Amino acid sequence: MNNGSDFRQEQASARHLSPTAQRSGQLGPMLFQQARSEFIKLWRIPMFSIPTLLFPILLFLLFGAPNARETLPDGTSVGTIIMASFAAYGLLGVAFFSFGIGVANERGQGWMRLIRATPLPAWVYFAGKIAMALAFATLLLLLLFLVAALVAGVRMALATWLLLGLTLVLGMLPLATAGFALGYWARPNSAAAIANLIYLPIAYASGFLVPVQSLPPFVQTLTPYLPPYHYGQLAWRAIGIDDGQLGLHIAWLIGTGLIFGLLAVWGYRRDTGKQFG
Amino acid sequence: MYVIEAHGLTKHYGSVHALNGIDVLVAPGEIVGFLGPNGAGKTTAISVLLGLRKPTSGTIRLFGRAPNDPQVRGRIGVMLQESGVPESLRVEEVIRLFQSYYPVTLPTEEILRRTDLAAQRRSLIVELSGGQKQRLYFALALAGDPDLLCLDEPTVGMDVEARLAFWVQMREFAERGKTILFSTHYLEEADALASRIVVINHGRIVAEGTPSDIKQQVPNTIVRLRTNLPIEQAQALPGVQHVTADNLHLVVSTSQPEAFLRTIFRDDWQVTDLTVQGADLETAFRALTREDAA
Repeated sequence: MNNGSDFRQEQASARHLSPTAQRSGQLGPMLFQQARSEFIKLWRIPMFSIPTLLFPILLFLLFGAPNARETLPDGTSVGTIIMASFAAYGLLGVAFFSFGIGVANERGQGWMRLIRATPLPAWVYFAGKIAMALAFATLLLLLLFLVAALVAGVRMALATWLLLGLTLVLGMLPLATAGFALGYWARPNSAAAIANLIYLPIAYASGFLVPVQSLPPFVQTLTPYLPPYHYGQLAWRAIGIDDGQLGLHIAWLIGTGLIFGLLAVWGYRRDTGKQFG
Repeated sequence: MYVIEAHGLTKHYGSVHALNGIDVLVAPGEIVGFLGPNGAGKTTAISVLLGLRKPTSGTIRLFGRAPNDPQVRGRIGVMLQESGVPESLRVEEVIRLFQSYYPVTLPTEEILRRTDLAAQRRSLIVELSGGQKQRLYFALALAGDPDLLCLDEPTVGMDVEARLAFWVQMREFAERGKTILFSTHYLEEADALASRIVVINHGRIVAEGTPSDIKQQVPNTIVRLRTNLPIEQAQALPGVQHVTADNLHLVVSTSQPEAFLRTIFRDDWQVTDLTVQGADLETAFRALTREDAA
């Protein structure tokens, strides 16, 4: 890093710096500031943070904890399965709401107009959002895992906890592209309503709230075509319930990430064209 | 080299012609005021100059480069209309965020002090008044110690005291060799701050010059009186720009009301029912636009 006088000489030829000017703009602090403000921006909206972080835990305590100590005939703990399901449910919520509502709000507020006039690189802006979602997801998993272990007596090998956590967090990223797409295509005021409207039915039909086998037959016929279902299957695989179709599930998630990713990019371009054309 | 060099800018939104071909040259250290009524094209002009909107035609260079060049972005600070800041962030958090974007910044304390936001540093954005929000946008514009400040109607929503304090800050900033471009619909504000005023109406530059040049072209006073002075003679008096007859009254727009009144009293014309009032800017622009058309 240069000291103060070098930096001054280097800039002096072109610029009219104030006597108090300081060097800034290094990538590390910029990324940190961007991720930090993305996180606290949503953290301080109780309408987002309370349901997103606490509902999965509440649902687990209501429906999972009472049966947690039972085991299936094949030896799998029921508590573990229900915990993995509600974790997938919770992270699907993070993917939908944090990106969807965050992006839509910013479009409504004119924040993007202001950001566009700064030297902030677009990729840092998006990296900040992804870091924010990863932080929310990790926080949610830590809380849920802690409650499951302490209250419901869920026990797994350390490697299994880590594998489950990693699978859930990484698998959330392709689903998050749907949140981005929603943020750019929905009207700023209706994004939250749309996210709410699709979130519960999709989580239900993907087998996150009720096991797939217990869903009504006509819902079961839809289930294999829902990307979150494949996400859930990966989570179950991490705790040892393997349906032998790893490749299929991964392909579904990658496909989802690509399709909604393209939709999101299209929506982003359309929006910047409207605002900045 | 010019800080801003733009030629032949036009901007059409469908059939609406927001800019009809303007040229802007701004040299380092100038304080240029875009003056015009609402809807004149000031906001469009600033957005296009900053590269935030694409011109329909014309060329723009900021510091000799394309306006959306990251190096250029790092040297400008902006206040825009219709911009917003996430409401659940605190004042100091947003300022620190913006500081992290720029290659050079000012100390946070200095930014807070200059924008008189030290007492609000812990406030959430949603708690700020309109005037405080406007000062926050100014703080964000200062974050990069910019060589060029572009301020679109910066004092909208400020009370008189805040406006005067804001002018002081702008002048101090200019004394560091900074270049400032701002827009306003107050002649008084352009006069107080600008080294050069560019009057814009209907997407065109209708007048340009130092504040005193502009004030001479603009009828700043309306004199209304009953008199036996014939309208043709009134029209010929010095400083008189425009005269209309309104029932029994003459309505005279002039930049030199004292000279006008001195003349008619000296020549002993009858004067009754005399009122003198400042012309609103609409009247002034009508006068300028008429000259432009003539």
